[in-house]
Amino acid sequence: MKKPRAGPRLHSLEVPLDGSTLLVPSAAVAEVINPQSVAPVPFSQPWLNGVIGWRTLAVQVISFESLLGATPTAPTATGKIVIFYPLGGRKDWEFFAMYATAEPRPQLLDGSQPVAEGSELPDSPYIAAGLKVDGRLMLIPDLEEMKKVFYPV
Amino acid sequence: MEMADANQYLRLQIGGVSYLLPSGSGYTIEQRENLITNKSPEGNVAAWQSLRSSRLPAYCLDAMLRVTRHHNWQRAVFLEAMPHAVGLAVDEVQLLPRADTVITPFTPLGNIPTRLGHLFSGAWVKGNRLMLVFDPKAIVSYLQNLGDA
Repeated sequence: MKKPRAGPRLHSLEVPLDGSTLLVPSAAVAEVINPQSVAPVPFSQPWLNGVIGWRTLAVQVISFESLLGATPTAPTATGKIVIFYPLGGRKDWEFFAMYATAEPRPQLLDGSQPVAEGSELPDSPYIAAGLKVDGRLMLIPDLEEMKKVFYPV
Repeated sequence: MEMADANQYLRLQIGGVSYLLPSGSGYTIEQRENLITNKSPEGNVAAWQSLRSSRLPAYCLDAMLRVTRHHNWQRAVFLEAMPHAVGLAVDEVQLLPRADTVITPFTPLGNIPTRLGHLFSGAWVKGNRLMLVFDPKAIVSYLQNLGDA
């Protein structure tokens, strides 16, 4: 396990999923809301749970677990919906969301957190890397790969 | 941000779920009693509208827009199309007031499910309520591909 030197601090959010934890930049998250009614989208991808109304927008809710090949889980009473800003280069209304099994928690990274070995990570193109934060594995999503599957040419 | 659409919208309730159809796409509404019910359990068509030299199929769909057969519908909305109109059986149909329908852009994430393109091109959002807006060409193509029998 490599242990990088301490460096600039990065405000992140730990997003608990079913069976894993994502680590995302706080700046990528627009809002965390309570679960609400999700309208299904007929003939959509298996990883797309549906769409919610948020502010004046239609925001699609994905299951990151499904992207990783796991069975999607139903939202729980203690869960949250994490709304992300549009991915780089996308239109300003293309917010997207994912379920979290609990309230996301802030994490202040300073580069001292050990990088996880490849063997510790799920074999998925949607995971860019992993960090060990307080001994716990946190997965960093590959936003470019997510963009490819969200918006295929 | 692209937002409002000047068209009016028809609210179609299908299998308990409401979808919107831009009214400018052209349609007629027929009462069920004016249609000929498909009494055969085979085939995708729920009923036909009989014209002088042809008959127009109408399909009954569930909330996820899969073909089904039930008898809870009262009207069919026939969408203008070439070579002939196609019908969609609905639980309810309502023309929404223009002022009530501000449509927000919406394109489903992921691959286009069929060669017909995405079935939806927008969404109506009010608070937590949301209705998807059909792309008229795509929904017509989808219905046409269900066949005439």
